[in-house]
Amino acid sequence: MIDAYKGVSPKGDLVLLRKFGKLFGKKTFLHINSTREGGGVAEILHRMIPILQGLGIDARWEVIKGDGDFFSITKEIHNALQGNEEFITQEMWAHHLEVNKSNAEKLDLEADAVLIHDPQPAPLINFAKKGTWIWRCHIDVSNPRHDVWNYLKEYCNRYHAAVFSVARFSQSMRVNEFIIPPSIDPLSEKNRELSQEEVSETAKKFNIPFDRSMLLQVSRFDRFKDPIGVIKAYRMVKKYNDCILVLAGSPATDDPEGEAVLADVREYAADDPDIFVLLLPAFSDKEINALQRMATIVLQKSIKEGFGLTVSEAMWKEKPVLGSAVGGIPSQIMHGVTGFLVHSPEGAAFRVRQLLNNPDMAKRMGELGKEHVKTNFLITRQVRDYLSIWYALEHKNRSVLEL
Amino acid sequence: MSGVFEFKQCVTIIKATGKKAKNLSELRTALAVVSEGSIFHHTYQYLLKGHILEYTNDFSQWAGASLEESALAEQLSNIDPYDFGNIETLRKELLQVIDDYLKRFPETRDAMPGDEFFFNETITLVFQAGVRVRNLAEFLMAIKYIDASSLYYHFLDARRRFEGKSNDFSQWFDEELGKKDLAEKLRFIDPFMHNLEGIRTRIATAGEEAVRQDMESAGATT
Repeated sequence: MIDAYKGVSPKGDLVLLRKFGKLFGKKTFLHINSTREGGGVAEILHRMIPILQGLGIDARWEVIKGDGDFFSITKEIHNALQGNEEFITQEMWAHHLEVNKSNAEKLDLEADAVLIHDPQPAPLINFAKKGTWIWRCHIDVSNPRHDVWNYLKEYCNRYHAAVFSVARFSQSMRVNEFIIPPSIDPLSEKNRELSQEEVSETAKKFNIPFDRSMLLQVSRFDRFKDPIGVIKAYRMVKKYNDCILVLAGSPATDDPEGEAVLADVREYAADDPDIFVLLLPAFSDKEINALQRMATIVLQKSIKEGFGLTVSEAMWKEKPVLGSAVGGIPSQIMHGVTGFLVHSPEGAAFRVRQLLNNPDMAKRMGELGKEHVKTNFLITRQVRDYLSIWYALEHKNRSVLEL
Repeated sequence: MSGVFEFKQCVTIIKATGKKAKNLSELRTALAVVSEGSIFHHTYQYLLKGHILEYTNDFSQWAGASLEESALAEQLSNIDPYDFGNIETLRKELLQVIDDYLKRFPETRDAMPGDEFFFNETITLVFQAGVRVRNLAEFLMAIKYIDASSLYYHFLDARRRFEGKSNDFSQWFDEELGKKDLAEKLRFIDPFMHNLEGIRTRIATAGEEAVRQDMESAGATT
């Protein structure tokens, strides 16, 4: 499996991964999250587990199950951690714990290392039996509602370590806190090279014209992704430059608000024939890949963002990217080098116009973006980092380790 | 080294310390108490960044870009961490520069929310890159494709092992290959003015020049 990344990922990462494969041998590595489809976490796990297994590590992925109430509660917890005003009652926290308890009874939690993704399964630590337990937070918790974070933190402080995507998400905790950005898989259906025929097929399928500049935002229909702001920016650009706008996203089973947001977006887009709102079924990876390759400029105008991997996906396809200066977006976009950081629909419109009128600059930014992603945001680097943490925690967390 | 140079490389994993600062006074307070590992990360390991920013360590970059205190950023940039025998002396120097600045300009501005200074530290994993060379020709082949972290480990991190005066490559050229001129040339590459790819190019150019000179002198004696 790891051989497939030869010539794609940095050589040093592959050397270290093979070393870890030998060091960890047949040890068990369990990942647990709350959805098998939709969103960046599920996507990365689909790809990461086979890589770990290919290294000889006994890796597993389990998904916790919950009722509608559970996912409404965890959505509110998620929103509160991103700063929204939400009130989580004691009964709601009790249900959160109860659902985790019932999952703990059904799941095999025995492993040498256990990586728990996000707040939904965080209480599973109460049922840990052995091994190194790490809590992985994919959310922007830089300004959380403190009552909600303080409650959740009681679970997180029982882990051996916590992992955040960027330094400014980290919180004062009693455990080791590591910073590991997430990543994309260059060989996945979403990021592999596509033939011109494959791209054309997608264009035809959605009736998207090939001969016009295309602005694209790929994200699930969520208010934090600000799809309405993107339409506002597009309308400002249209006064000066011809272009079309594509808003594409898949539903996620753990997001009950998605439908309402989609309806709002469709209403706001009204009958503009140059706006394409595409609700793609889960696993429409090839279509998303094709749309990103068709795009002239890619936007990620989120108001809050965990990390925003669509930025790295677009940069991997040599596209200039405009993103808000939130979440993990500033660590992906080097402002003025691989794209631009923007702070408003007006800012986004201004930068879109700059790029549409300077195709050479757009091309150069796209090329530099691909190099930046190769070094920093490929899946092989992320697997390397998880295994490094596991290794460091098993070696008493010394600051220099010779392998 | 017994004649053979074995390339190592390194990977760093960032750890948050939980400490942050939104203005210069808070930076000063935290800087006085953060771990030596954190100061090491924000000064020496700054050179691991793949791209060149305006200043030469994280403290000066933040003072310049986020606080817009250009004069302080210049002063902090001028501190060469390799001039100090240990981190505590480096910490004292950083504090001294900030204290002097605060005496002159006590009212410093706050960084934008989200742009605070976050004190981090690292765990470094060092491992063999699987590349061994025995002479200058093999070295020149290897230097072009070894990982950038290998350059960091042998050329920059190594300076700490030689009190800021040398690096692994120069030591090998000097002690094992007897190429004192080349060793000296490499010692004079300014580590703060190039990114790792720039350093790679300069090492390769210096090496190729040494080969050319060797060939010319060999030609002159035949």
